[in-house]
Amino acid sequence: MTAFKLHRRTAVAAVLGAVLATSVWLPGALAQSKEIKVLNWQGYGTDEKWATDQFEQKTGIKVVHDYFNSEQEMLTKLRTSPGTYDVVLFNNTFVMDAVHEGLLQPIDSAKIPHFADLTPSLRDSDRFVMDGKHYAIAWVWGVTSIAYSTDKLPEAPQSLETLWDNSNAGKVGWRDDAVESVQFGALATGQDMNAPADMEKIRAKLEALKPQIKTFWSSEDEWNKYFAAGDYNISTYWSGSAARSKKAFKLPVGFVVPKEGAIGWFDGLAVPVNAPNPEGAYAFIDYMISPEFYVKWDTDVGAPASANAKANAALPEDAMNRTVLGDPEVVKRLQWMAPLSDDQRKAYQELWDGVKTTFAQ
Amino acid sequence: MPGLAARQARSIVALTAPAYLWLALTVFLPLSAMIYFSFLTVAPIGGRQAEWTLAHYVAFFTKEVYWRNAWRSFELGIYVTIACLLFGYPAALMLAKHVRGRWREALFLLIILPFWSNALVRTFSWTMVLRGEVGLLFTYWAIVIGLVHAYLPYAILTCYVSLQSIDDALIEAARSLGASRFQAFLRITLPLSIPGVLAAVILIFVPVIGSFMEPRILGGKNAIMLGPIIESQFTAVFNWPLGAALSFIMLTIVVLLLLAASPILRRYWQ
Amino acid sequence: MTERALGHLIVRLYLASVLVFLYLPIAVMMLMAFNASPLYEFPFHFDTIWFKALIKNERLIESSLNSVLIAIANTVIATTVGTMGAIGLNRYQFRARPLLELLLLPPITIPWLIIGTSMLIFFFWSGIGRGLHAILLGHVALSIPYVMIVVGARLKNHGSALEEAAASLGATPWQTFWRVSLPVLAPSIIAAALFAFAVSFDQFVISYFLAPPGTSTLPVEIYTAIRKGFTPEINAISTLIILLSMGLMLLVARQYRFGGER
Repeated sequence: MTAFKLHRRTAVAAVLGAVLATSVWLPGALAQSKEIKVLNWQGYGTDEKWATDQFEQKTGIKVVHDYFNSEQEMLTKLRTSPGTYDVVLFNNTFVMDAVHEGLLQPIDSAKIPHFADLTPSLRDSDRFVMDGKHYAIAWVWGVTSIAYSTDKLPEAPQSLETLWDNSNAGKVGWRDDAVESVQFGALATGQDMNAPADMEKIRAKLEALKPQIKTFWSSEDEWNKYFAAGDYNISTYWSGSAARSKKAFKLPVGFVVPKEGAIGWFDGLAVPVNAPNPEGAYAFIDYMISPEFYVKWDTDVGAPASANAKANAALPEDAMNRTVLGDPEVVKRLQWMAPLSDDQRKAYQELWDGVKTTFAQ
Repeated sequence: MPGLAARQARSIVALTAPAYLWLALTVFLPLSAMIYFSFLTVAPIGGRQAEWTLAHYVAFFTKEVYWRNAWRSFELGIYVTIACLLFGYPAALMLAKHVRGRWREALFLLIILPFWSNALVRTFSWTMVLRGEVGLLFTYWAIVIGLVHAYLPYAILTCYVSLQSIDDALIEAARSLGASRFQAFLRITLPLSIPGVLAAVILIFVPVIGSFMEPRILGGKNAIMLGPIIESQFTAVFNWPLGAALSFIMLTIVVLLLLAASPILRRYWQ
Repeated sequence: MTERALGHLIVRLYLASVLVFLYLPIAVMMLMAFNASPLYEFPFHFDTIWFKALIKNERLIESSLNSVLIAIANTVIATTVGTMGAIGLNRYQFRARPLLELLLLPPITIPWLIIGTSMLIFFFWSGIGRGLHAILLGHVALSIPYVMIVVGARLKNHGSALEEAAASLGATPWQTFWRVSLPVLAPSIIAAALFAFAVSFDQFVISYFLAPPGTSTLPVEIYTAIRKGFTPEINAISTLIILLSMGLMLLVARQYRFGGER
C-alpha cells in the first residue's frame, strides 16, 4: 500500500505545482502603452511577421494578435471583451450594426496620413461613415467569383452555368456559407443579389448543385488542399486567395468574373470603444493602408486589392489585382454586398441548411 | 440510528459537493442563462429588445430541416455506438481474460495512445487514407469510420475496466458445474460487464450525436447533421436562442431515452 | 492445431487488426511529418524541414506547453474531485441520487460550443474573465462527468461488501477508503485519469473561447491554422507528442500495473 501513500503526496504536490506553474507561465504583465492588440482572420495581412517587425521597428509598438474564424465569432469576442482590442477587421456589411450597438468609436482621420489616398467610393462609403464621422478605414476589397484549374479547363469559363455543367459533375467546389450561396443563386437566376425577389427559384437552383459538388470548403487552406488533390475543376473562391494559391503554392489557378457578374466586397479596419491604445491603433492602420506594406504583401504573399489606389498602381503589371480587378469592364459586372438584417441572415441560413439536407439524402 | 443518518448525510455532501459545486458554477449556471435565452426571440445583448417565445422549440417539430437532421444525428450515434461495442467489446474481453502479464499492459497502453493525438490532425490523416483507391472519402461511411476510430478506445477502456473486475473463480465454478464456455460467458461474464457497456454507450452515443468536426471534414456533401446546424446558429448567424433550444431538445431526448431504458438499467446499474 | 492454439491465434489476429485500425491514421500523420510537400501531396519526398521549422515556431511550442500544463492540472483536479463524487453517489442510497446522476449528462450532451459561449458570457459577467484559470475551470468541468461515469461503473460492479466488512472489523471510513476502496478502484481511477487528460489535451472549443489574446493552447493553434495554412509543422509536433506520451506511459507502466494483479 506504500505505493498509494506516495501517490497521495505526489498528487497534492502535483496540484500545487501545476497551479503555480500555470500562473507563473501566464505571460507577464505586458507594457500597455507600447503594444496593440489586433483581432483579425489568421493569415490576413495584419499578422505577417515581416510587417509587424517593420512596424515595431518604426514605432516601437509590439503587435499582439487574436483571431476569429467567422464574423459572428468576432462580434461575440468584441461584445464579451470590452477594452481588450485596439484594431478589429470588419467586413463593411457589419460596421453600421456594430456602431449602433455601441461597439466602435469614431476615428480621427486627421491622424492617418494615407487617408487622403484612399479611393473615395470605398473610403467615404455610408457603410463606414455616420454623421460625417468615419468608424472604419477602408483597407482592402476583392471579389468572390469562379476559380478554375487551368490544367483541366484550358478555356476560361465565361458563365456561372459552368458550375452547373454536366462535364464538371462531382468536380465542383463550393463554400459552405449561406449568404454567399444565396448570392450566387441570385446571380445565376438573374436577380438582385442583395434583395432577391424569388427565393424559391434560388433554392431550386442551389438544389440542382447536388450532382456537381464534390465537397465544401470553408477556408483558404482547405481549398488549397482539395484543389491540390484534384478534387476541384472549378469552384467559387475569393480573388485574394486565388492570387495566393497561385503565387505561394504554385497551383494552376485561374480566376475569372463571369458575364452574370460576381460578388464584390470590401473590408475596413475599425477601432473598438475603450481601446487601450488608440494612438497605436491609428499608427497601425496607417501602416496597413500604405503602399510600403501593401505592395510587399501582394507581391510576396498575395492579397486582395487595396483601397488605396496609389498602392494598387504600384503593383507589378502582371499582378492579378491589376489584370483582373483593375479592368473597369470587370468592375462594372460586380454586385456589391449590402448589409443584411439578422432576420435575413437567419432566413438564408435556414434555406441553406435545407438545401444541404437534400444533398445528404 | 439517527446519528448514522446524519453522519451519512454529511459524508454524501462532503464527497459530492466539490464536483457538483464546480459543475454548478461553470456549467449549470451558465447554461441556465442559455435556457433563458432559448425562450426569447433574440439574445438580449447589445441593447436588443427580446420577447418571450416558444417559436424556437416549435421550429424543431415543424421544420423538416431540424427534425430530419436530429434524426440523422441519432442514426449516426446508433451506428457508431454499435460498431464501437461490436469491435471493442471482444477486444476488451480478450485483453481482460486471454492476455497475460507485460503484453496486457503494453497492449492497453497502445490502445490508449491514439486518444492523445489531436482529433483534428487524426481526422485529416483519415482523409488521406480514405481518398483515392479506397474512394470512401466524402461519404457517410467515412464519417462513421472516423467517429468509430475516435471513440473505439472509450469502448475498449470502459468494457475492459468492467470485465477485468469479474472474478475468474465465478467462471471456473460455472464450468465445473457443467456449463459450456459460451454459456458461462452468456450468463456470467456478459451480465456482470453491463455497467461497463452502459458507460461506453453513454460516453460514445452522447458526444457523437453532437459532433460536427468529423462530419464536416470527412463527409463532404453528407456532412449536414444537427451538430453543424447548432454550430451555425453561433458562428454563421446570431441566433443563439435557436441553437440553445435545439441543444436542449437533444438533451431532453437523451434523458428521455435513458429514463425509458431505466427498468432494464436498474437491474444492472444499482 | 489444438483448440487452444487456435484460440490464441484468433486473439492475436483480432487484437492486431484493432491496433492496425487505430494506428492507420496515426502512421499516416507521422509519415506526413517527414514529407516535403506543404500540401500533403504525393509523391513522397523525405525531409525534416517541418521539424526544423517547429523549433523556430514559438507560438506552437508555447501553446503545446500550455496544453500539457493545463491537462496535467486538469487531470489531477478532475480525477480527485470526480472520484470523490462517484463514491458519494454510488455508496449511499438517497433520494436525490437519480437526479444527480442525470445532471452528469448536460456537460457531455450539450455541444461544447454552447457551453463555451455561455461560459464566456458568464465569466465575463461574473468577473472571472478570460485566461488560463478560466480555461482550467472549463476543462475540469468537462472532465468531471467522464471521471464520475467511469469510476461509477466500477463501483456498481463491486458491491460494498468489502467495505462493509472492513467497517464491521473496526476500520474508520478513511481507512476503509484508503486500504479497501482505493485499491479496488485503482484501475478505473487510472482509466478516468487517462480520459480526463485526453479530454483536456484535445479540448478546442472551451480553450478557444476562454483564451486571452496572445495566449493559446495546441488544439486552438491547430484549428485556427486551418485558415492560414495547416502545414505539416502540425504533424511534426503531433508526432513528437505521441512519441513523448509513449515514452512517458512506458515509464509509468514500469511503476504501476494497470491491468490489475493478474
